[in-house]
Amino acid sequence: MGILRLAHVDVRTPDLELSTAYYTEVLGLQLAGRGPAGEDTVYLKCWDEEDHHSVRLRYDPRTGLDLFSFRVEKEDDLAELEIAVQKYGCQVQRISKGEAVGQGESIRFGIPSGQTMELVWDLEKTGNLLGKLNPAPVPPPGLPGIAPPRLDHMLINAEEVGESAAFFSKVLGFRMTEQVLDANGHQMGVWLERSHSPHDIAIVNGPNGALHHFAFWLDDWDQVRKAADILAYNGVQIDQGPTRHGVTRGNTIYFFDPLGIRNEVFTGGYRADPDFPAITWTEDQFGRGLFYYENVISQRFLSFHT
Amino acid sequence: MSDRILRLQHVEVRVPDLELCTAYYTEVVGLVETAHEEGRVFLKCWDEHEHHSVVLRQAPTYGLDHMSFKVAEREDLDYYTERIENTGITVKRHARGELGPGWGEAIRFEAPSGHLVELVYGMEKVGNMLPLTNPPPRPAGLVGIAPPRLDHIFIMAEDVDGATAFFRDVLEFRLTEQIMANDGHQLATWLERSHTPHDIAIVTGPNGALHHFAFWLDDWNGVREAADLLAYNGVTIDVAPTRHGVTRGYTVYFFDPVGNRNEVFTGGYWVDPDFEPITWTEEEMGRAMFYYAGQVNERFFTVHS
Repeated sequence: MGILRLAHVDVRTPDLELSTAYYTEVLGLQLAGRGPAGEDTVYLKCWDEEDHHSVRLRYDPRTGLDLFSFRVEKEDDLAELEIAVQKYGCQVQRISKGEAVGQGESIRFGIPSGQTMELVWDLEKTGNLLGKLNPAPVPPPGLPGIAPPRLDHMLINAEEVGESAAFFSKVLGFRMTEQVLDANGHQMGVWLERSHSPHDIAIVNGPNGALHHFAFWLDDWDQVRKAADILAYNGVQIDQGPTRHGVTRGNTIYFFDPLGIRNEVFTGGYRADPDFPAITWTEDQFGRGLFYYENVISQRFLSFHT
Repeated sequence: MSDRILRLQHVEVRVPDLELCTAYYTEVVGLVETAHEEGRVFLKCWDEHEHHSVVLRQAPTYGLDHMSFKVAEREDLDYYTERIENTGITVKRHARGELGPGWGEAIRFEAPSGHLVELVYGMEKVGNMLPLTNPPPRPAGLVGIAPPRLDHIFIMAEDVDGATAFFRDVLEFRLTEQIMANDGHQLATWLERSHTPHDIAIVTGPNGALHHFAFWLDDWNGVREAADLLAYNGVTIDVAPTRHGVTRGYTVYFFDPVGNRNEVFTGGYWVDPDFEPITWTEEEMGRAMFYYAGQVNERFFTVHS
C-alpha cells in the first residue's frame, strides 16, 4: 500500500533534438511519442517498461528538473496521500485525466527542498517490447545504445537534508536504508526506498530544487562495463566509474547527457524489508560510502547538479 | 495498511544424514550455521538479518517439511487466519519461539496441494554479517558459493490450477507467468509477493513434493562461479548454467547429498501489482524452462523430493 516506485522523470533541455538523439541512440531508450502541438516535448521509455513513458524531455532555455513522479500501488492511495501532504502544509495541484500525456489523474506538490513531485496511479499501459505470449527473455537483437530495461531511482539535492528526509519518511511513507552523518550528527545524505531495493530516491546536501542525477537499472556488472564502452565510444563525458558504491553496494557509472544532466546506470544492491535496520556512514568514511574503490570525495560529484 | 506477505522466509527440509548435509550446506553452498539442536540445524545466508532461512531436520526420508513466508505485521497473522479458515482449512497458531530457536509468531496450515505452509512474524534478528556503520559491501572469509539470500521455492501439485487459485485468492499472491496445456489447464505457474518474477512456483507433479528451493546470486558471473564450485566438489549438477525463458533468470540446478534439488538464480524483472501475466503455450514449454536448449530433460520433471 502507498507509494510503489519511481514512474517518470521530467527534465528540461535547451536542445530537444540533441537530447532526443542522445537518449534514444546512446542511452537506447524507446521513443514513446512526441507531445501535442505547442508542448515541445518528447516521451521516452525503457524496453522492459509497460507504461507509456519513464522520461519526458521538454524544450526550455534552461536545463533542469520539471518534476519527478512516483506510482502509488492502489487508486485510493492518491486521495490518502493527498490529505497527508496537505496536512503537512504543501499546496496540492490536482491534474485531471487528459491533462498529462500517458497517464490519468495525478497530484503535484512542492516538497520542502523545492522540487515538484507528482504521485500517480493510472499509467497508460503500452506494453514492453516482448509481449505476453511466449516472450523471449531478451529484447530483439540490435537495439541501439545501452538499452537499460528500466528506470531505477533518482537523487535530488536539499539544503536541509534532515527536514527533507523526514518529509519523505513521515508524510510519504518512505523507509530510510542508509544515511551519512556529519561530525555533528546532521544528515548529509539519506537513501530512501519503497520498492524493497536500497533506494528509490536519495537526497544529498546541495541547493534546493536541484537534480543530482537519475539512474537506469542494468542487469549486472558486465552490462555496466559494456555501458562504459558505449559511452566512451560515443564521446559521452563520464563523471565516475565504472566502480562500486559503499552506500547501496551498487555498481555504477555516472555520466552527463549533452546538456549537462547527470545520468547513472546502476546494478546490484540488496533486498530491503520494511523492518530493514538502517545503515549509517560517518563523515570520515563518506569517500568509501560514495565510491568504495576510489575512497575519494569528488568535488564535481558533490557540487555539480542541474 | 500492511504489505502483508513480503517474501519467502525459510524452508525446512528433511535429510536422512544431518551431518553430511550440514557440511554440504555450510561448506559448498556456503550458508552460515546459527543454531543447532537435537536433530535440527539452523542456517542462514550471509546477507539475511533473520535467524534462519534453511532448517535441516534429521528424518528417515528426504523432502520438504514446510515453507514459511514472512509477513510485515503481526495483525497479518489474524488477517490470513480468517481468510484461510473461511475456505475450511484448519489453521494452527504458534507463539513466538515455540517452533524453535529464533522463531517468530506463526500460523501453519496445509495448502490444497498437501504442503505445510507457515506465515511468520517477528523472527529474531541476528543481523547480516556486516556492521550497521560504514559496512563493506561484503564480508571477508565467506566459503563456498555464499549466496546473499534465499530467493524462492518451487513445489509440485496434482492440480496446479487449484493450488494456484489458493495462493492467489486466499494468500493474495500475484500470477506472473503460466504454462498452459493445450486443453486449457495450467501445467505450471509462477507467483509473487516481492515484486520479482516469483516467490513460489507450482508445477504438475505429486502433491506435497518439493521440486527445488533457490538462492539468489548477484549476476551471471556468480552463477558460473557457482557451477565451478559445485563441479569441483563433486556435486551432481542437474542443469548446467543456462537461462530460463520464464522469469528470464539465469540458473544452475543441482542436488544436495540426499537428493533435495537446489538452485542458484539471478536476473528477472520488476513486477507491479497489476502486472499482466505472461502465458507460455505447451509447444513452447522447452524454451519456457530452458531458453537455450529449448527442451527439458526428463529428470527435471520427474525427480523431486
